[in-house]
Amino acid sequence: MTRSASPDHVIAVAERVQRGETTAVGVAEAALARIDGSDKELNAFLTVAREEVLEQARAIDAKRARGEALGPLAGVPIALKDALCTRGVRTTCGSKMLEGWVPPYDATVVAKLRAADALLPGKTNMDEFAMGSSNESSAYGPVKNPRDLARAPGGSSGGSAVAVASGMTPAALGSDTGGSIRQPASFTGTVGVKPTYGRVSRFGLVAFASSLDQIGPFASDVRGAARVLSVIAGPDDRDMTCLGAAARGPEGDRFEEACGKSIKGLRLGVPEEYFAKGLDPEVEASVRAAIARLEADGCTVKKVQLAHTRHAVATYYVLATAEASSNLARFDGVRYGLRVEPAHVKSAEKGPTKSALRTMYGATRDAGFGAEVKRRILLGTFVLSAGYYDAYYLKAQKVRTLIRRDFDAAFGEVDAIVCPTAPTPAFLLGEKTSDPLSMYLSDVYTLPASLAGLPAISVPCAPTRAGLPVGLQIITRALEETTMFALASAWESASAS
Amino acid sequence: MDLDLERIRHVATLAELSLTEEEERRLAGEIGRIVAYVAELEAIDTTDVPPTAHVAGIEPTRSEDGWREDVIKPGLSHEDALAAAPQVEHGGFAVPGFVE
Repeated sequence: MTRSASPDHVIAVAERVQRGETTAVGVAEAALARIDGSDKELNAFLTVAREEVLEQARAIDAKRARGEALGPLAGVPIALKDALCTRGVRTTCGSKMLEGWVPPYDATVVAKLRAADALLPGKTNMDEFAMGSSNESSAYGPVKNPRDLARAPGGSSGGSAVAVASGMTPAALGSDTGGSIRQPASFTGTVGVKPTYGRVSRFGLVAFASSLDQIGPFASDVRGAARVLSVIAGPDDRDMTCLGAAARGPEGDRFEEACGKSIKGLRLGVPEEYFAKGLDPEVEASVRAAIARLEADGCTVKKVQLAHTRHAVATYYVLATAEASSNLARFDGVRYGLRVEPAHVKSAEKGPTKSALRTMYGATRDAGFGAEVKRRILLGTFVLSAGYYDAYYLKAQKVRTLIRRDFDAAFGEVDAIVCPTAPTPAFLLGEKTSDPLSMYLSDVYTLPASLAGLPAISVPCAPTRAGLPVGLQIITRALEETTMFALASAWESASAS
Repeated sequence: MDLDLERIRHVATLAELSLTEEEERRLAGEIGRIVAYVAELEAIDTTDVPPTAHVAGIEPTRSEDGWREDVIKPGLSHEDALAAAPQVEHGGFAVPGFVE
């Protein structure tokens, strides 16, 4: 481990600012100093919003001076994945396509963080349009893993994970489509939460695959992640897939209260399919030790079957690329972002002359998108094209139903599923870039919960002998994040003692 | 198994991507291998299995209380909406010609 853990957790910072033991300006300056000190090496931030965060801090201090109550995230620095729109602050989504784009509005989650008096020091690096598992598809260079600079931080929310892992900020927001919060949390030794699909508004999140995308927190501890989630969760008229107030689950959004609750008698399911060929033996040992500890602390453990797990990668890459090919059609050089207008129509030799408009579309998208994004747009367009739709897209939607049914059956017998977050610890930068399929296969344990829309958390368990972090993944029924937080918090306390 | 170049060119046209010949060749190979991998789905029995479009089967925000009122709320201003456009003419988005 090359760096110390976060100097402070979310709740401790908020309480100190609320009590006036420290000023928000002091916290903001310290966060900026940590970013200045670490980020040249780590490349976690694409934009540092220096003036903006100091202004937010002064406003919070002034509010306190007037005797007004401060919000639940008072003075807590929270880094934002650069897929989240921030009014007045550049938002690139890791792409040349949006290199200089300044959104005219805030994402709902950003507005909620502001309203909770959080500090927003900057935007974090990510795989281009969130397409990747190592942060290497970013148009702005990869993020380095602070636990070992030769290794990938995971992706796509690698910058947010590293902001927290290196102690630059106690929390961050990421987005998770097939594991983009949980896998980097596992690789960097942080807590990462993918909430139930529909728990958090995606208004203002640059869309990748809309039936899967979900925003969630990273934090240096479980309770901190719970507090951030309780702030960003909730209905939003501007995202019609966001669940209404009536669908908040048995315990609403009292996630923080769930931390520290008794876990005695909870039934844990261990899916054999997640301990199969390809699982690193040290990861397996670490995860099994965590499960044994939860059992010793009063949970019951039984085997469950999630038989369609091995088809999750194929299912996901058909559905996610199909949705992406549609979502990314909006990047056409007309309303925002890059525009390229070539002087000569280079495609004229290949077929009928294209209009100047279509030539502009093609040239803009060729120049603006990187290799992985083009690959996925083409794959997605292919699986949706005439003659292939039924065989690939519709078939994958049906297999998605089978994957959901596996979980429904398992949750008839157990309250939570416990398994590794990723099959290996952080791999080396460059290790998988030449083989897209091997990169896709590294998501094998995070994809099923995404396809089923279920909440899942990655929480650190014992590192490997080489000191690389390992993540324990806890998956629960839809809208039962409280059970997930109770278990994660119990494990966190047990592993610290 | 490579996808044939004609197919890649057709799909690139549908996706409005201008690829170089080098890109076409490389992508034909890469996408061909991924398509061969996802073809494993064919063997799964999905008789009478309905497709999943929305996971939760829970009604979204608006249906909770029936239809919401059609109330005018402030949206993006004209200036904000145009602020990031590469080219603006006569208060609108300007595009290259597409009709001869």
